[in-house]
Amino acid sequence: MLKRLILIRGIEGLMVLLLAAIPLLVNNSFVLGLLTLLAIYGILLIGLDITVGYLGLVNLAQAAFLGLGAYAAGLTVTLFGFGMLSALVVSTLTGLVMGALIAFPSLRLDGPQFALATLSFSALSATVLNEWESLTLGAQGLQLHRPLLFGIDLDAKGFYWLCLCFLGIVWIAMRNLLSSQWGRAFEALRDSPIATDAMGIGTYRHKVTAFALGSGLGGLAGGLYAFNFEYLQPHVFVYELMVILLLGVVLGGRKSLWGSFVGAVLIVLLPNLLSNRILFQIFSSTGFLFALGAGGTALYQKKTRLFQAVAPMIAMGLLVVGSFTVQNTEDWRKAIFALMLFSVVVGLPEGLMGFTSRFLSRIFSIEPEPFASPSGLEEVLARKPVDGSPLLQVQELKCYFGGIKAVDGVSLTVASGTIHGLIGPNGSGKSTLVNLVSGLYVPTDGTILFHGKPLVQGSLFAVARQGICRTFQNLQLFSELTALDNVMVSMKGFYGTPLPLVLLGLAKRAEKRAEADSLALLELVGLSGEARTAAKDLPYGAQRFLEIARAVARRPTLIILDEPAAGLAHPDVVTLLGIIRRIHQQGITVIMIEHHMEVVSGLCDIVTVLDGGKVIAQGVPDEIRRNPLVIEAYLGKGSEPPALAAECRLAPMTVPA
Amino acid sequence: MNQALIQLLVSGALMGLVYALVAYGFQLTYATSKSINFGQGELVMLSAFFSLTLTNLGLPYYLMIPGGLLFGVVAGLFVERAGVRLALEQKSEGWILMTIILGLFGVSAAENIWGRDDRPFPTPIPTEPMQFFGISITPLEISVALGVFMIMVIIELFKRKTLLGKAFAAVSADRDAAELMGISATRTIMLSYGLSGLVAALAGILVSPITTVGPTMASALVLKAFSVAVVAGLESGFGVVIVGLFLGSLESLTSFYVGSGWREAPGLVLLILALAVRPTGIFGKAVIRKV
Repeated sequence: MLKRLILIRGIEGLMVLLLAAIPLLVNNSFVLGLLTLLAIYGILLIGLDITVGYLGLVNLAQAAFLGLGAYAAGLTVTLFGFGMLSALVVSTLTGLVMGALIAFPSLRLDGPQFALATLSFSALSATVLNEWESLTLGAQGLQLHRPLLFGIDLDAKGFYWLCLCFLGIVWIAMRNLLSSQWGRAFEALRDSPIATDAMGIGTYRHKVTAFALGSGLGGLAGGLYAFNFEYLQPHVFVYELMVILLLGVVLGGRKSLWGSFVGAVLIVLLPNLLSNRILFQIFSSTGFLFALGAGGTALYQKKTRLFQAVAPMIAMGLLVVGSFTVQNTEDWRKAIFALMLFSVVVGLPEGLMGFTSRFLSRIFSIEPEPFASPSGLEEVLARKPVDGSPLLQVQELKCYFGGIKAVDGVSLTVASGTIHGLIGPNGSGKSTLVNLVSGLYVPTDGTILFHGKPLVQGSLFAVARQGICRTFQNLQLFSELTALDNVMVSMKGFYGTPLPLVLLGLAKRAEKRAEADSLALLELVGLSGEARTAAKDLPYGAQRFLEIARAVARRPTLIILDEPAAGLAHPDVVTLLGIIRRIHQQGITVIMIEHHMEVVSGLCDIVTVLDGGKVIAQGVPDEIRRNPLVIEAYLGKGSEPPALAAECRLAPMTVPA
Repeated sequence: MNQALIQLLVSGALMGLVYALVAYGFQLTYATSKSINFGQGELVMLSAFFSLTLTNLGLPYYLMIPGGLLFGVVAGLFVERAGVRLALEQKSEGWILMTIILGLFGVSAAENIWGRDDRPFPTPIPTEPMQFFGISITPLEISVALGVFMIMVIIELFKRKTLLGKAFAAVSADRDAAELMGISATRTIMLSYGLSGLVAALAGILVSPITTVGPTMASALVLKAFSVAVVAGLESGFGVVIVGLFLGSLESLTSFYVGSGWREAPGLVLLILALAVRPTGIFGKAVIRKV
């Protein structure tokens, strides 16, 4: 624990001291210029990493935010005579607000569409900066003087230290944020937006927050950029810079502050590297040998695809050939970036820091931080009083998709404290009904009452926040997060600390509480030994249990389990029965879609049978089995009741819908 | 006055057809793999340069065209192999970044092989304007329109009438199921990228005599093609033509009444609006989320 702290914080502290001391040791304005640029790009890339790394989206607008921030700072200084700090506030706010504005329309968008939206925004802002000549002076460029900071006229050295301070502040604030529930929520959003809403975490606020914060940092970097160069031209902040920034983040390593820093070092040094032939030859040859070595080993150990090993070798090989044959490397700048970026994206997707940190933690055998001791289950899931009164009332609910009447006038009442089974042949409307209640679909007609009051319709998030939580038939885990994080992130609604406090690092207590509670829930589903395992690496059965733990973490009044036993082996089914009984004991009402008759008979107090979008029967499990309508729905006309019972025990209905 | 307005609309609309053709290239690959080539504009540019070189080598126009198209097909296949396949196999969206990277490489290569200057593209088709009801149109512009419609009709017929074309729809609907039915998804996707390259090359050959050829010729073109594809929806071939015509004329009006520097703006604003209001596009079908 101590060793970990000393190593990690120690290296950070050393790096800051070293960076701060260089101008005292070396009196060279060129070096000072590079260092200043390094601090500015560091801030910019940390901002970009929030969207590219944590949200997993291709963001092509960061260069535009740099430009907008720079012009905002420049114009407030030249037009209104703002001081440095207030101008920087304006540039940061410009980034924040524009970021939020672009995030709102992009909310429903994923990969390519999001990339397109940001690309268009970039092009649009370049057009505006270029063409609004009365304000920005267009291509002619904007001249400005670095304003005073609290009445002090900073020299180059002083300005560098100011930039370094900003980098330090941003670093600490972002570390606080990204290691908190917020950072976890960003990653949850990347893995499954649907589950993020269904767990009441909220895709909306997190996507906007993440993008706005990242853009705000872009704006701040822009302000510093303006005061560093004291001259702005629109054509600087264009597509090519954007690609370089992406190169920085990807090569440095995504989801890592150090990665962003390493990326910034690279971006700053790159132009100098290209202008020095010998240096470039050494650099490209090193890269080639690395690709050859790493790719060769991986191939030999059969850990990778042929393409992944060979393509980087070819790309780096081209770079080497180029470095010895091309007259002027500066002319080929874009191709060189492209080759480097290509090799990294294909061959080293985790980036340099991802690679190095794995390596380092093995050498120093840094142990992960130990967990808090788990809370008692009674503390986490205080037993809720149940009285058998109607909890959920569905009245004449209809949902049509074009001509298909998926749910056609269903009415049913779920009593508080029961386990309510929902069965029916494939296509009978069970899943649609559950999707309507949980807010994924908007009903065509009908009402849903919860606690006697109308339930919000068509919003997974709002329904989850009202106390109805669900699992999914096709698992929707946050696959890259660990088992513990999957449960913890779901508690965000409970132990959510306001964003400013989180940035200041004042959320640690709530964090520990959430961790302790989550461990208790993992224990409940028998996964406390797998807390650090990524969800995608868990066995199938464990993934199903983890989804239940995650849904329970929300402390719902009503939990909807969508085919929890689908695909489970028999021993896992037994475990499942135990888990559901335990949850039920704590006073959580359960609705369960299930095909396993043994699960239904073993657990359910009451069963509703759907067919063709209508309720055809309701009663205790034993009655239902003998109900001729039900038998007909499953097996067709003329079947004998005993046959159904026997068949059911042989589980003919285990095929997931 | 009115005459001038109609003239603006018509020339703009003709240009819009080229955007539609490039956008159609996005649709072809999106149909099979839900991926698009972000470097499509560079494909247009490289094919145009290659065709120019063929012409300069003395190849007649009617032989240059198949040569240029063949180049487009090969380049499209290269993009699929180097930039898209791995990401699709990993079910990731890495192809976005990869195709951007390949495009960047293409720009740099063109700058160094063919130079940074814009060059005229010779064509045997006459460029003297003809008068139709007082509106002047050049035969060259008519050839652009004809070329766009011809290739789109041929490809649409191929997609709808042939077995191979129907495999497009099958792979699009469910890649795994198509594989189980004996359709090679990889080959179908390759085919779609090849076709997409062909369409890009044709767009380059058609538009170059009007716009000249240069390494940056496609950067504006591709942005507008993105707008057209998104506004129309990535599934409707008919839609891109309509939206292309509309955007082309809108742009021509903006350029005339607001200023030529702002000509990109309407497309970009439309794209962002379309994504905000209707991400599936005007002619696209809303998808039901299934869980």
